[in-house]
Amino acid sequence: MKNLKLVKKTEEKQKTIIRVGDLEIGKNLIVIAGPCSVESEGQTVQTAIGVKEAGANMLRGGAFKPRTSPYAFQGLGLKGLKILDKARKVTGLPIVTEVVDPRDVSWVCEYADVIQIGARNMQNFSLLKEVGRVEKPVLLKRGMYSTLSEWLNCAEYILAEGNPNVILCERGIRTFETYTRNTLDLSMIPAVKNETHLPIFIDPSHGTGKKELIESMIYAAISAGTDGLIIEVHRNPSEAMSDAAQQYTPQEFAEIMKKARKLDKFMKEDF
Amino acid sequence: MRMDLESIRKNIDILDGKIIKLLNDRMEQAVLSRKFKTGILDTSREEQIYEKIRENSQNLLNGDFLLDLYKTIITESKNLQSKDLKLMAFQGEHGAYSEVAAKGWDSDCVPMPCMEFADVFEGVKNGLYDYGIVPVENTLGGIVSQVNDLMIHTDLFVVGAIEIPISHCLVTYRGNDYREIREVYSHVQALAQCRHFLARNKLTPVQFYDTAGAAKMLSEKGKKNVAAISSKLAAQLYNLEIIKESVEDHDINRTRFLVLSKRENKESGTKCSIVFSTAHKSGTLFGVLEQFAAADLNLTRIESVPNQKGTYAFFLDFIGSNEEENVKEVLKKVAAISDDFRVLGCYNEVSVK
Repeated sequence: MKNLKLVKKTEEKQKTIIRVGDLEIGKNLIVIAGPCSVESEGQTVQTAIGVKEAGANMLRGGAFKPRTSPYAFQGLGLKGLKILDKARKVTGLPIVTEVVDPRDVSWVCEYADVIQIGARNMQNFSLLKEVGRVEKPVLLKRGMYSTLSEWLNCAEYILAEGNPNVILCERGIRTFETYTRNTLDLSMIPAVKNETHLPIFIDPSHGTGKKELIESMIYAAISAGTDGLIIEVHRNPSEAMSDAAQQYTPQEFAEIMKKARKLDKFMKEDF
Repeated sequence: MRMDLESIRKNIDILDGKIIKLLNDRMEQAVLSRKFKTGILDTSREEQIYEKIRENSQNLLNGDFLLDLYKTIITESKNLQSKDLKLMAFQGEHGAYSEVAAKGWDSDCVPMPCMEFADVFEGVKNGLYDYGIVPVENTLGGIVSQVNDLMIHTDLFVVGAIEIPISHCLVTYRGNDYREIREVYSHVQALAQCRHFLARNKLTPVQFYDTAGAAKMLSEKGKKNVAAISSKLAAQLYNLEIIKESVEDHDINRTRFLVLSKRENKESGTKCSIVFSTAHKSGTLFGVLEQFAAADLNLTRIESVPNQKGTYAFFLDFIGSNEEENVKEVLKKVAAISDDFRVLGCYNEVSVK
């Protein structure tokens, strides 16, 4: 941790607030929701309308998908970005989407409001440098084999290039446990807050990989003081081209959101 | 060059684009020829065309096939000639912003491309076209001086006006990888309006004579690694892929166009345009403006353009109808105290959001 010059907190109350439109990331609970992949205009726009009505603040959706198998659906690329743009125009929700190739960074920035670096690319240093030179905030996911120190060093790469707006996102790590897809490490919420001034988000969808476990983790993350959540929602999860087992329907998501907002309000009250 | 099914199909697509473009050019000429013909049917001319085609049959194209094809084309030409189409001349290639404005003014009109602004004025004067549409001013670029020069001496009337947002698209040949694009062709003004966008994406601007011309060139050459900045209409006309819409740096880019005709506007309008000059004496321009102020008429445009006589022509637009008494009164007074006074027209103006 001693090499962290920009990421580390210098005083107790230091906190980075990132503005995206009217949203203040790092201040209020921000919920990003949407499908794993952009599959079609209808699927994306309908899901976007659903999550907006449920109270989500931003829309997620992958146009470029880093997949375990080279034969799995790789995403719609530029067409996917245009569909996200359409969804933004319809709902007004800012867009969060992943970039996997340094050659795509400027083009993804043309369409996205926040660019995401996925867990598999956390230590792709040329990609980190590239996103460090743009003006859009970066959501940096924790690599599934990475320690907190390695993760923060990756954030340091982005800040060192001149982009101060990094959101850290815990999405589960590899352990010997096979029941869950990954082991969601919620202790990172206070740990990140102790060490840095950057906002921390939780991704319970990838963190557990099982729909029946996600809800509890959402409440746990809010109780632990997360700055935001990123949750996978699909208009029809059984038809999803990726991550079918961990996506909520908009109706299920809406129910959870009601409780989540109440819990957030409760946790922020003075006692 | 690599030859496989994919590249051959790409060639076929390019050729199809050219054939359709040429067919449209031919139909435009057919519609224009109607202006000189007394009737539509001209059997001797048709025979002449069929004769030429028979002589021209070559290699894979046998005479019977060509004859059938041309009979279809000529039937459609006659069909178009029989319709009372409103031809609207504009300067530039198909897909130019003037064509976008023409379609905005009257979606049923047939926009006809002209090389120069002077050709638009001449063509309308000679009755070749029913209307002409010309840009007079742009929020970023200022006045279009060539058009304003022509407006001083024209006998044509202004019968309408339309202001449209100028929104540029980055377009490329279908199938090109956007990540491989290095150069962007367009008119110098369009490139300047997208300077930050180009810099952000490390694209090199290359000047071209026209925005729509750049799009046309891409479609004809099927070039890799290059894109053009043009209207969305040009992207559609030349079957190009839009990589991104609204790539201009500022959204205050608007152009105002005037619709010209040989005949005065018959319907009542809400806006008037006049042109006049004044003697080189103190207070002459003030004397004119004073009339408008006294009658409480709101001026929406005042432009001075040097004319050949060493004086200035003043263009003045105001809100009001020439059917109103106070407007008639003011115009009479202004005519008396200025030189070369002319009412260009009273018309309605459309503003496209």
